Amino acid sequence: MHSPMSDSGRGSSRRMRMSSYGGRPRRRKGNEELTTKEEVPELLKKRAQELLDTGEEIKVAVSTDLRFDGTYGKDWLLATDKRIIAFNQNSVLGHDLQEIPLNAIEDIEILEMYGNNILKITTSDNAIELARYSKKYTPKFNLTVSELEKLSSLNKDGAAEERRGRGPGPGGRRGRRGPNAGSTPGLQRGGDRSKCDNCGQPIPSWTGVCINCVQNSKLIIRLFKYAIPFLHVMIPAFIIMLLMRFIGVLPPILHREIVDNILDPAGNVISVAVNNNQPIPEQLPETSWGILEGIKNLLSGWFTMPLGGSFGHLVWIVIFMASISIFTTVISSIRGYMMAWVGQNITRRLQNETYEHLNALSIDFFHERDTGNLMSRITHDVSRLRDFIANGLQDIIGDSFTLIYMCIIMFITSWQLALWTLIPIPCLIFFTIFFGKKMSKVYQVLWKRYSNISTILASTIPGVRVVKAFARERYEISRFNEMTYQVFSGEMNAAKLGTLYYPIMQFITFAGTIIIWFVGGWQLFQGNLTLGTLVMFQSYMMQFFGPVRTLCQMNERFIRAGTSAERVFEILDTPPNVADKKDAVALANIRGSIEFKDVYFTYDNEKYALNGVSFQVQPGEMIGLVGHSGAGKSTLVNLITRFYDPNRGAIVIDGHDSRDIRIKALRQQVGVVLQDPFLFEGSIADNIGYSKPGSSRREIIAAAKAANAHDFIIKFPDGYDTLVGERGARVSGGERQRISIARAILKNPRILILDEATSSIDTETESKIQEALERLVKGRTVFAIAHRLSTLKYAHRLVVLKEGEVDEIGTHEELIAQDGTYANLCQKQTELSKIRAW
Amino acid sequence: MNEAIKVTDELEFLDAGKISISRNAFAELVVELPDGISHTKVDVVRSFPIYEADRYIALIDSEGNEIGIVEDIKNLPQQSRDILSEELQKRYFMPKITKINSLEGSFGITNWDVETTQGDVEFGMRSRYDVTSLENGRVLIKDVDGNRYEIEDYNKLDPKSYALLQTQL
Repeated sequence: MHSPMSDSGRGSSRRMRMSSYGGRPRRRKGNEELTTKEEVPELLKKRAQELLDTGEEIKVAVSTDLRFDGTYGKDWLLATDKRIIAFNQNSVLGHDLQEIPLNAIEDIEILEMYGNNILKITTSDNAIELARYSKKYTPKFNLTVSELEKLSSLNKDGAAEERRGRGPGPGGRRGRRGPNAGSTPGLQRGGDRSKCDNCGQPIPSWTGVCINCVQNSKLIIRLFKYAIPFLHVMIPAFIIMLLMRFIGVLPPILHREIVDNILDPAGNVISVAVNNNQPIPEQLPETSWGILEGIKNLLSGWFTMPLGGSFGHLVWIVIFMASISIFTTVISSIRGYMMAWVGQNITRRLQNETYEHLNALSIDFFHERDTGNLMSRITHDVSRLRDFIANGLQDIIGDSFTLIYMCIIMFITSWQLALWTLIPIPCLIFFTIFFGKKMSKVYQVLWKRYSNISTILASTIPGVRVVKAFARERYEISRFNEMTYQVFSGEMNAAKLGTLYYPIMQFITFAGTIIIWFVGGWQLFQGNLTLGTLVMFQSYMMQFFGPVRTLCQMNERFIRAGTSAERVFEILDTPPNVADKKDAVALANIRGSIEFKDVYFTYDNEKYALNGVSFQVQPGEMIGLVGHSGAGKSTLVNLITRFYDPNRGAIVIDGHDSRDIRIKALRQQVGVVLQDPFLFEGSIADNIGYSKPGSSRREIIAAAKAANAHDFIIKFPDGYDTLVGERGARVSGGERQRISIARAILKNPRILILDEATSSIDTETESKIQEALERLVKGRTVFAIAHRLSTLKYAHRLVVLKEGEVDEIGTHEELIAQDGTYANLCQKQTELSKIRAW
Repeated sequence: MNEAIKVTDELEFLDAGKISISRNAFAELVVELPDGISHTKVDVVRSFPIYEADRYIALIDSEGNEIGIVEDIKNLPQQSRDILSEELQKRYFMPKITKINSLEGSFGITNWDVETTQGDVEFGMRSRYDVTSLENGRVLIKDVDGNRYEIEDYNKLDPKSYALLQTQL
């Protein structure tokens, strides 16, 4: 593509440019510093040094990763402020040396090719390819080119200085990929980036954020800001949890007390009696509540103990245990409700905030990301974050406390046995982590396969007409079959792991109980341990598994929550590209004069959709935009509504640069009728009134009448109150079109844009719509895009666009007289319509 | 530069005070306009059947062309107003549900047993989407046959009816 800024206007056509791709050198921080001054091998350095004048030093030294013979290897490119030296290895013997004086250079460019690039230098009499490198080094060589440019401009008496002063050419333009200096590390702005700006690691496309750079701790702290308003509930809930965890470790102690203080002594007396054929003594031995004696005393202070003796003790301990469990049930359900309230509140706040910001974002944000991805951020990711705040984190803390409580109790009771009990724990941890990793791999694959199924469904169900028309049902069925089989095999892989995991865990726990029986039993014989303590240790062994598993998965949970947080915060952190300036004017009454001043625009920084468009439009003038698809017609009108801003040049509306006008003020006065009008879920009246909030019914009827829509609307049983379904499915295309025209009419816009408003509609309906449009265009500045040129018969002037440039401009008669593109198009369409008329 | 049209400038409603609506021997509606032209077999259509029962009534002639719109039937002469109201009542039959006796769902069909301002009725409803909830507790229901029912404000229903209705919203 020819750069419009390349000629400096001087006699010598000295130009230096970078190819259109990757215009801005991407600077990376982190593990690989982007530098154009690498360490040159001694041998080459010596050879280079021989060429240099005294005092001349090497300013640029970069290595490649490809040689010109197509093998991987390092070539070198060196530059001083006088010359460029390139070393190219052509054989085993060594490097060829090429020297080019800087002042001979006419042009430096990067040839973008498939899988590799070449840096090429053109001098006045020939061109030399100096370096070949893989795409990995694209950023480095982009930077190199600008370094070389700088060196040569220093060398060349500021000729380039002047050039640079004229503003950035297409190479260094602002726009979607524009500098994002203020971005958070790891944050992906454009959905089209494949590598992280920060660390250079590839970014998984489904997350859109660099997992490597996600700073979990920061994100999670930020997440907690959303929890702050609910701390008055969260803190009590947290305290309740700590209390519950403590109560949770009590039952084994009670077990111990029952065994040691009641069952064991009483049982001994009874068995002695039975063995000696004596009657069971009426008075059982004095038993105690052990460490719970205090509680008993407290209770008997309140009311008398109905049953004395050992059995009475047993009953009371059982009642105590039962009341503990009732208490925990009640308390935990209360706590569950509290946390649900907190969680739902956080969800709502995050969702509302994200949605609000989403609405503030510019159109291009939505073009770069697919709807499903954005939707899942607002739904799935947000609820995942809620789970993390409300449950996950508290689980982690709670389980840690359970483990700590248990260990303290065990070590106080018998530190030797406690050590033995902990032996299987490393195994538990090892297997949980091991299986966890395997499982997450299996589930990732499975997750993808499930999404494949939904992809098939999502594409074939709406496309069912195509499937049936081409009789491809069998094919689709077999494709679907294949997908379900893949899910099946994935699920079976997961089942293999799942069915193995729990038995192994059981085995380890069982091994732990064996150890306790053995060591504990032995200690019992030694008289170091009571039976109750042994029972207590067994109970604790069973309780280890859950908390250990939670803690092993902690890392994964943090990463997941971090990724979700990043995905949500990315939306919140993205500034709108098209935003109001601080001093933007709220243009209240636009007259409608529009001037395009050398407007350049590109969607992707590669191909220009508009290439220097200039023309003027008077207020109240109707302009027909004509041209092939892709000529830039729709782009042009997108710039008027400020869905995008031009990369260069300006659109001047009533003497104001469009970028200086408040977006809201501008859009309030611009009406748009699109080819495929979008109707929202709601009544017809709601849809017409959408453009003017608070419009009266009278206005709605008037607009509908003006749009030739009234007659068909009142034929619906529900009239204007008829609900139009999803995407207005219950209303035909022509009807939808007329509703959208009514919508535009109601707004009474000063500038009207008709983007293919009448294509894809039958002739009868079209004439009705034409009629409506004629009414609509009166006294407004109108831009009408149409393929059918007959639609443009009322246009005052026609602008013919060709590859983003104005090809012809003038009235119908003038253009026919010119016998150019327009005349040609007209002729073709006339021929076509003749055929149709037959 | 000529000023852009304002949509409402073009719209004219019928001069309600000067038209007369009557019924002829064939029970057809006859509309007489101020300019003396009269139309027989006139159809009346509510533009906003749900929100504006008595305003923006379109009068359609026997050919299907619109004669005009009555902005508010209040403004019509007493006699014409009565005839028009009567005709509208006939044309738009939408009983108001006052009580729900039972609601039973089987195989996707929901059977309603309700009391309405027009008497008791049972009807079946094909899908959840046939219940439309509007603002202020207003609910519209469409049955299998396309009949319509209305609940003016579900907050004013008795507790049992309210509970039954909640399962459908």
